[in-house]
Amino acid sequence: MTRLNTRSCQRVPRLSTVIHSLFAIAIVSCGGAREQAKPASNAFKVALVTTGSVSDQGWNAGAYQGLLAIRDSLGARISNVQTQTPAEIDENFRQYGAQGYNLVFGHGFEYQDPAIRVAPSFPRTVFVTTSGVKTAPNVGGVYFTFSDGAYLAGIVAGAASHSGVVGAIGGTQLPPVVAAFKAFEAGAKSVNPNVKLLTAYVGNWDDASAAREQALAQIARGADVIFQDADAAGLGVFQAARQSRTVRIIGSNSDQNGVAPEVTLGSVVIDLPRAMMIIARDVKSGAFKGHVYRLGENDGVVRWVVNPRLAPEISPTTVARLDSARKLIDAKTLKVPE
Amino acid sequence: MIDGTSAFLEGVVRTATPLAFAALGETVTERSGIINIGLEGSIIAGALGAVVGAGYGGVWAGFAFAAVCGCAVAAIFALFAVTLRADQIISGTAVTLLALGGTGTLYRVLYGSAGAALNTPTLDPASIPLLSRIPVVGRALFVQPSITYVLYVLVPVVMWWTYRTHAGLGLRAIGENPAAATAAGIRAKKVQFLAVLFGGLLGGISGGTLVLAQAGTFVEGMSAGRGFIAIAIVVLGRWNPLGAALAALVFGAASALQFFFQATGSNLPYQLFLAFPYVLTLVALAATHGRTNSPAALGRQDFEQS
Repeated sequence: MTRLNTRSCQRVPRLSTVIHSLFAIAIVSCGGAREQAKPASNAFKVALVTTGSVSDQGWNAGAYQGLLAIRDSLGARISNVQTQTPAEIDENFRQYGAQGYNLVFGHGFEYQDPAIRVAPSFPRTVFVTTSGVKTAPNVGGVYFTFSDGAYLAGIVAGAASHSGVVGAIGGTQLPPVVAAFKAFEAGAKSVNPNVKLLTAYVGNWDDASAAREQALAQIARGADVIFQDADAAGLGVFQAARQSRTVRIIGSNSDQNGVAPEVTLGSVVIDLPRAMMIIARDVKSGAFKGHVYRLGENDGVVRWVVNPRLAPEISPTTVARLDSARKLIDAKTLKVPE
Repeated sequence: MIDGTSAFLEGVVRTATPLAFAALGETVTERSGIINIGLEGSIIAGALGAVVGAGYGGVWAGFAFAAVCGCAVAAIFALFAVTLRADQIISGTAVTLLALGGTGTLYRVLYGSAGAALNTPTLDPASIPLLSRIPVVGRALFVQPSITYVLYVLVPVVMWWTYRTHAGLGLRAIGENPAAATAAGIRAKKVQFLAVLFGGLLGGISGGTLVLAQAGTFVEGMSAGRGFIAIAIVVLGRWNPLGAALAALVFGAASALQFFFQATGSNLPYQLFLAFPYVLTLVALAATHGRTNSPAALGRQDFEQS
């Protein structure tokens, strides 16, 4: 036992070093900013902060595409970081502000309060929060009229549902998600006033297995068209539909028609690259004013994109309904609930 | 439309399966006196391993590689916590963080920002003749993906091994009274190392189940705290393999009830339902407090000197 004692005494400091470096590796690989090296000191620098993985094939992936588009079209130096906990948001913003970034996108509603808090310390950096509505001289928001698209999706769902029960599955109950589901319901009811909407929230944006269970529970209650707005977790909703075959899914944020083409009627797409380019151009040219960009159907930023493979399932009557609803929305005669 | 009760019960078993695998492995680990908080890391590594393995050789290659990856993560933990006798809680936390961040990074390296999509092959539910026709619970228990049946076999085997074999006795002896066990000639570190590896193996299969029997794809952070829930399940199951399996069912029921309530279109705040499994954890832990018989040397790192 003596031998063991001496050995473990010698080992203590070395061991703690090892554990600390383990932590360091973990932290770097969790939240470390991945910069694309393009050494130009006064280059236009744009950063993107997301809550989830940019490999979600949805909300975050679209923003990452936008970031790449800004790099390619405007020659910007770009960086992307994923926030692990809400408490880190301020710190993410401060880091980019301190490094002299010209434009920082906080990709989601949850970024607007941190942006307002941090912005005064970095007057040369513009903070733009997607889905945010609060502004300051160097803070802007983008309000996507996603509800327009969700309303159109509702029309398709209302017409496609045989059971008269449709579902909606979200990640967490953020105001934009709630608004989208309301618009979806209104769209469905415009076709079939008796349609019933089941709503469920996964509680996070990553647990694809739980999202699949939510979908299966809705299917067991008769839902045959489900609108998913749960980012990466939403992949589980597609998976549930694939196994029950008769159920149809409507994707959101990115064009998700390719995720499971055999069950996807279409997607409500936010053309994030287009929206982000509009803002980045303004910031680069100095035209940016702290205000909320309201982008939607009219700007080509929010669109209903039908899945060509299942297009035959959407009747000509429904297509006509979609066209007239689109015209009414553009003419602002139809007020979509938000 | 499937009838409501049956759909609910099927959901219970589906949700419980990955939890039961992880908890069964952790039961064996904890019986040796080691508490592996890094179990979450093994689950997420297993999930990524499952996608990679299944891409090469189908579903069962996916499970095999998931088990290997779960084991590999557990080996890192065992190196620190068993071989070097570092603090188990700190090592476990570091391993979890390392695995959560590392799998995300590796996933993007392997599949790019587009991800693996839903191209991973998955297990369809397989119906067992006769048994699946038992009223009420038949479909729930015997129309499941075949990995669930592996679990049904594994639970009694682990039970028998722990309580009826000489090796199982050695395992329990180390967890209860390491000094006496060492004096009796049992090589504590070797047994503990293997017990941690076994826990990692089942943790990996738990992650594999999430992918290959459920979600059909990998999502960063998709383990979503199941490793920690499994550790609570071990306590609720009173460090008994069968107890762990039954406790996993209780948790599965709490989650499935949550899915069920939301799907009924109730207007109650959904956060209330989401909190349900965790509230249940607290209640269960409080209720069994004082009556639990944890291995006496659980979590201790100094015992060779005692």
